[in-house]
Amino acid sequence: MTDAKKQQSNKLSEAEAIERAKLGDAEAFEALYNLHKRRVYSLCLRMTANTAAAEDLTQEAFLQLFRKIGTFRGESAFSTWLHRMSVNVVLMQLRKKGLPVVAIEDTMETEEDAPRKELGADDARLAGSVDRMQLQRSIAALPPGYRMIFLLHDVEGYEHNEIAEMVGCSIGNSKSQLHKARMKLREILKTSRAEKAAKP
Amino acid sequence: MQWGMLIMCRKQRAAIFAVVILVLVAFAAAETTRKEMHFKVGRRASVSIVNAYGPISVKPGPGKRVVVTAILYSAKVEVDQSSRGHRVSVFSHLLDGATPDTGRVDYEVLVPADANVTLHSTTGPLHVEKLHSDMILEGSGAVVEVRDVSSGHIQIKTLNGPVTLTNVSDGHVDITSVSGDVALNMVNGSVVHVNSSSGKIHYDGDFGDAGDYSLTTHSGDIEAIAPAYASIEVVARSVQGRVENDFPLQPEHTSFVARAGSAFAGTMGEAASSVKLLSFSGKIHLKKH
Amino acid sequence: MTCEEFERVLPELGDGHTTEQEAHLKSCSACSDLVADLNAISQQARLLQGSEEPSPWVWNSIEVALQQEGLIRQPHLARSQPPAPLLGWKLRWLVPAAAMFLVAFGVLMFQRGTGQPPVAEQQTPPVGVETAGLQPMAGDDLQLLKTVGERMPSMRAEYEANLRSVNAYIRDAEESADSDPNDEVAQQYLRNAYEQKAMVYEMALDRSLP
Repeated sequence: MTDAKKQQSNKLSEAEAIERAKLGDAEAFEALYNLHKRRVYSLCLRMTANTAAAEDLTQEAFLQLFRKIGTFRGESAFSTWLHRMSVNVVLMQLRKKGLPVVAIEDTMETEEDAPRKELGADDARLAGSVDRMQLQRSIAALPPGYRMIFLLHDVEGYEHNEIAEMVGCSIGNSKSQLHKARMKLREILKTSRAEKAAKP
Repeated sequence: MQWGMLIMCRKQRAAIFAVVILVLVAFAAAETTRKEMHFKVGRRASVSIVNAYGPISVKPGPGKRVVVTAILYSAKVEVDQSSRGHRVSVFSHLLDGATPDTGRVDYEVLVPADANVTLHSTTGPLHVEKLHSDMILEGSGAVVEVRDVSSGHIQIKTLNGPVTLTNVSDGHVDITSVSGDVALNMVNGSVVHVNSSSGKIHYDGDFGDAGDYSLTTHSGDIEAIAPAYASIEVVARSVQGRVENDFPLQPEHTSFVARAGSAFAGTMGEAASSVKLLSFSGKIHLKKH
Repeated sequence: MTCEEFERVLPELGDGHTTEQEAHLKSCSACSDLVADLNAISQQARLLQGSEEPSPWVWNSIEVALQQEGLIRQPHLARSQPPAPLLGWKLRWLVPAAAMFLVAFGVLMFQRGTGQPPVAEQQTPPVGVETAGLQPMAGDDLQLLKTVGERMPSMRAEYEANLRSVNAYIRDAEESADSDPNDEVAQQYLRNAYEQKAMVYEMALDRSLP
């Protein structure tokens, strides 16, 4: 089967599962869960950096989805609808805990949070050699505000206008935070690499 | 004459005895029934076997078919089946008065190598080999054995049944056992999690695949044996037990507090994999091959 | 164009650069290295999408909740077994109890994260018969053992031993987490202990087995 046909067949399967889920079919719920669980869980895990919290949020996101599935009319892609719901579930949880969703004002940054500007410094390049595990650890080490924007844009692929709407900031702020997140990650990755290289 | 009569009696007795034995054997054989079921399935079939008492063994078979052979040990148990599309379900149905002996069914199952498998049994044992698919194996006292499996999500739950995994690659392994011992030999994957309460955990492998390895117990001991070339970032802690380490670890900047004899942390090689060895009161030993 | 000017506009740059910016990148290795690094991070990040898998425990909890809320109108095929003939009706209350137990665990984890007193401390103290030298068991545990004893008498002793083991784990883990709420390892012990307990309940309530 060609890729296009496979996609077509998968889309039909999802559509069929949605219709059957509306009728309360247990297998259909499970099929929808299996189709989307990794993306939802990965998002929750990276946003919270905590496995237990991520699993609870994943559960909550799917439960909300399944409760509302009768209202899904197909105006947008199902995955988009689910994903938006997942992001909202995580954002609500972060707000409930009083954690910053995004750093709104540049002036509120501490010296520790702000990435150092090292223009012209003769540091080793990272390009072409960003280790996935290292990157995962570095993302977990980002301040929550930077982490949120970075995950939504670079990992999950949302555009700045969508991010701005979801987290309640301006498009300019979203771009600025993304840039700072990437700079901070670069700094963390280079520091880690330099430390490893310095070891005997 | 008397002697002759005695010999005749002995011969007669022997003959009667032999006949009785034959009758008993025939009777016993008549009690066990063999049943064979065939199902045609497609790609990524899903096979579920629920068996209260008795072993279940799953191996790959030819073609897109599932073949289930069941030996029923008495008339106190029936085997029911259902199939819908790619889903096949077989279950042992106990009748009134069934016991662990009379309710026993032995299953041998052949499935396509990419079929997902779910096995439930109280007593087991459960055996799966040479598949590359997802599997869920559950049994309170069942001995569980999985070998030569790749690219699958393996979930195992037992209360006190021991678990042994051998040669599992590219896996996502999740094992929970309260008091069963868990042995992992050459098991690698993106995630390998073992959660035990009082059971021992033994790992022998290289912690490869840049995975996330977590071996945790409450009071069971943890023994992990790795080669010198292992590339890991390791954290080990026992609140009340001792920890030992045979490797020269590079220290790492981490909030984890190392305490001689009860906790250590560090890296080896490129630190590709993350390894957590945690026990509350058990002993932990990270050994070199 | 100076490096400072280039970095000021860097957040606004998408895939395209102006001629002036291109010229600066060609002449300045520091800025071109910076852009290459940031692009590498962004590209590698995309590969992280959907790369993690939740434990099967998550689906189990969702399924229980869906059944509770009546959203599932056809029971799952593999578990659609007739309940044990004599005692099936007595088990109905234990399913919501197991679901509540799992939810309580989730709430407990969040409350520990926010510094609120754990749910376990708000529960009524355990009530049960004290076996010589052993901790008394909570009412739910005793009820579970009673039902296990009725359904499968030969398994009762095994379930009791395992429940005691798991309860001891929970006690130690709670003590550890209480003494240092910021200790991630202690949180992990607690989570593992509750997972074990949920599993024991789940196995005991599995209607597909006697």
